[in-house]
Amino acid sequence: DGVAVLPAPQNLSVQSTNMKHVLTWSPVIVPEEIIHYSVEYQGEYESLYMSHIWIPSSWCSPTQRPECDITEDITATVSYSLRVRATLGSLTSAWSTLKHRFNQNSTILTPPGMEITMDGFHLLIKLEDLGPHFEFFVSYWRREPGAKEHVKVVRPGVLPVYLETVEPGAAYCVKARTFVKAIGRHSAFSQTECVKVQGEALPL
Amino acid sequence: QEFQFGPCRVEGVVLQKLWQAFWAMKDIVQAQDNITSVRLLRKEVLHNVSETESCHLIHALLRFYVNTVFKLYHDKAAEFGVLKSFSALANNFFVIVSKLQASQEKMFSTHESARRRFLLFYRAFKQLDRESAVTKAFGEMDILLSWMEKFYQL
Repeated sequence: DGVAVLPAPQNLSVQSTNMKHVLTWSPVIVPEEIIHYSVEYQGEYESLYMSHIWIPSSWCSPTQRPECDITEDITATVSYSLRVRATLGSLTSAWSTLKHRFNQNSTILTPPGMEITMDGFHLLIKLEDLGPHFEFFVSYWRREPGAKEHVKVVRPGVLPVYLETVEPGAAYCVKARTFVKAIGRHSAFSQTECVKVQGEALPL
Repeated sequence: QEFQFGPCRVEGVVLQKLWQAFWAMKDIVQAQDNITSVRLLRKEVLHNVSETESCHLIHALLRFYVNTVFKLYHDKAAEFGVLKSFSALANNFFVIVSKLQASQEKMFSTHESARRRFLLFYRAFKQLDRESAVTKAFGEMDILLSWMEKFYQL
């Protein structure tokens, strides 16, 4: 193979958004050869009590791509060490370890996508399915001076959600944000969306 | 989704994930336990535990699991190919113990009865040879999780 020593993967980093965690690294290049990578992890428990123990990642031991979805491996809100090595035939590189341990409580939480619909005079909201970790706080109100803002907590998997029975001619506004109990954090609110109800406003 | 052991509150642990981790290895783990006449987490340890007592008791039990049971069972977990489930439980128990530790320090009342309950468990553990004791304790985690579930609020 003409390769005495296989270089270790470099530039390890974790991108984590909405509790989906992907470990990436710079690929190891050996012309006309296919490099395989193996990823392993260690939770805080292993680091403290049995530091020699590393656990193979669920999906990337081995893999050919210079990235690994480690979402299923991160099963607790503790800090994790992650390492990668390259393999070419019988040649194996040294391990490269992520410089800073990763904790899922650092994940980026984005405002949820949402769709406001009407079913007759029922105001409904459909929310982006972000997985079992996510609850949604939905705020909605009638667009008029002094209107009261209502809040509804929506559990994962409940779609679409009935918000309110509306009146003809009135306008209603809605915004939503996510909440992840496992890490005790919520996202920013989505953009506010307003809808105008068909028909003539009821006489007072 | 949080545990409320009397005055001690623990957030950030999803009980369903612990159950999933245990179910994934339950059969292979419990098949290794040949001493069916003994139960470590028996009625006298877990039944009729008062609210304030529950914080002391769960802290003592989980600390024992983290410091002893998981440590001694690790090689078997590797042998049976259940390291992932093992890690999920160990790290989440570690989170709970860490958070209970903080609550414990604020709780001045010592709970003799919680300590007596733990000692029942501990003496039963000590009466077995070490490998059998660790295997049985690890296999009884469903009893522990079931008891913990009573203190879990969705």
